[in-house]
Amino acid sequence: MTAPTIIKIVDVWKTYKMGDVEVHALRGMNFEVKDGEFVAIMGPSGSGKSTAVNMIGALDIPTKGKIYLDRKDISKLSESSLAQIRGRRIGFIFQQFNLIPTLTAKENIMLPMVFQGTPAKKRIARAEKLLKMVDLGDRMDHRPTEMSGGQQQRVAIARSLANDPEVVLADEPTGNLDSKTGNMVMDFLKKLHKEEGKTIIMVTHDANLSKQAQRIDYLRDGIIIKSKKQR
Amino acid sequence: MIKDVLKYSISNLWDRKSRSFLTILSILIGITAIFALISFGQGINKYMNDFGQEMGTDKIFLMPGGGLASSPGTSNIRYTEDDLDFIKKIKGVDEISGMMIVSAKIKFKEYREKYPFVIGMSTDVKDKKLVKEMFAGIEMIEGRELKKGDVLKVTAGYSHTVPNRMFKKRVNVGDKLEINDIKVEVVGFYEEVGSPTDDAQLYMSQEGFKEIFDIEDYEYLYVRAASDQDPTELAERIKEKFRKHRGQRKGEEDFTVQTFEDVMETFTSVISILNGILVLIALISVVVAAVNIANTMYTSILERTKEIGIMKSIGAKNRFILFIFMAESGILGLVGGIIGIIFGYSIAKLGAVIAASAGLSMLRPTFPLWLVIGCLLFAFLVGAISGLFPALQASKLNPVDALRYE
Repeated sequence: MTAPTIIKIVDVWKTYKMGDVEVHALRGMNFEVKDGEFVAIMGPSGSGKSTAVNMIGALDIPTKGKIYLDRKDISKLSESSLAQIRGRRIGFIFQQFNLIPTLTAKENIMLPMVFQGTPAKKRIARAEKLLKMVDLGDRMDHRPTEMSGGQQQRVAIARSLANDPEVVLADEPTGNLDSKTGNMVMDFLKKLHKEEGKTIIMVTHDANLSKQAQRIDYLRDGIIIKSKKQR
Repeated sequence: MIKDVLKYSISNLWDRKSRSFLTILSILIGITAIFALISFGQGINKYMNDFGQEMGTDKIFLMPGGGLASSPGTSNIRYTEDDLDFIKKIKGVDEISGMMIVSAKIKFKEYREKYPFVIGMSTDVKDKKLVKEMFAGIEMIEGRELKKGDVLKVTAGYSHTVPNRMFKKRVNVGDKLEINDIKVEVVGFYEEVGSPTDDAQLYMSQEGFKEIFDIEDYEYLYVRAASDQDPTELAERIKEKFRKHRGQRKGEEDFTVQTFEDVMETFTSVISILNGILVLIALISVVVAAVNIANTMYTSILERTKEIGIMKSIGAKNRFILFIFMAESGILGLVGGIIGIIFGYSIAKLGAVIAASAGLSMLRPTFPLWLVIGCLLFAFLVGAISGLFPALQASKLNPVDALRYE
């Protein structure tokens, strides 16, 4: 029995107006991810990767087309409902880590739980557990500026798991890291996939990195041109 | 959640200490001024109320000209014993007493002469109660009051007991003063009223006054309404009858009849208006502070655009972002308010000490609880409302654009 589809994008267009010119970042993109899959979306810069991340991550709504999360159409939801979806069901990992600089590692991880109204005790326990999981048990009260890039990205991974989302969306997760640290971060992603059963969608332009995924979808000029399954 | 927002907001403000401090400074100046001014205004009102209660509301004044607007001792209209008798017979008048007043040269030893008011008042036993009430509970602190038969004897206001306020040295009971070169003996002193004019006055019997100044007529008449008589009605009746008695036409009277309540009301409303104008001026600085807070918040939001994007991407709803920034501006206002109240309190206290040393001890600020709470609430609201538009702008940021912002 095949796993159910968790995210499905059907003929999605995203058009930006730049003065009088219309720029089509996505031109009828179709994309599907099954629950528990590890998919890489690969494409050069300008191929529409970032826009695709925004659509998959419910950060933005399409100009045209449909986006389904668990068969529910989310392409026309309000910003408030989208925020709710992002908070509960999707975990983000960004290339630039995107931690809040004024908060400590633990507070950064607790923040998504604050938005969901998780009680303080539970938040603290979960944040500590997640930090230990990414081997940062000794950095709990450090601020992002007091940590290396690799450590920051690990905090970001821990944060992405704060509300136990079904999908982890990683946008160039190793782009700002050296190869050794990058590998370590990749190992964590794989571990999440294998041990926690998370659906991982990773957007990258790095061919080596994409090889770690079960499937690679190639994005060019705003559409998926090829999908390649790996062993 | 509220606790988390507050914690987060406070840590943000703390991280931008200098800017937060400057913004707080701008609001605390306004709140300081408002708090101090209102506390003085309230103090004067309380003083007047206390004064009024001591004096009672059954009193009516007859004054030359337009009433309190003219300076005492300067009018050439005076009331004779006949006038006094006439008014005494009007229905509803319980008691009446007259007062003479002039500004006179006073000398004490070799010190420089002063020109306070000298008041001639009745020492008649039957008038004593009314005269005492006119003094609104001002007690003697040294010596004794004037009594019948005192001619070249005076009682003096509080300032005479303070060195360097009237004369270089203080005056003592038994000392001799010269009024228009006639020696008089000081027999007692009154406690402090708090107004320099009143505290400098000398009081003597009507007989003594006539002897020194050769003035027999009264400048002010005090009436006490009978207990079953409404003072306002009585004042109207006195005005009407006395006008006819003096053969004057309506609206052209050379005297004013005012109930004590009217006088107090006039005085209190003048003070309130003056105080109100000062508070309005102080409010301008609060407006400036509000603009400053808004400016600070706009800057902060610009700096934290990416942070807003991050928070939105991890599940923050618009209203949460709105709440964060409004909390920050509200806290700025509230802290400004707290410090402003502390400063305002200190300045008012200091002002009262300075005023008292200048003889104006009636300028005594009071600090009712509503003033404290009102100022705090006002400061908080100014902060929160100033932050409303910046916060709305922040909350409506598109998460994609905000994340991309560098």
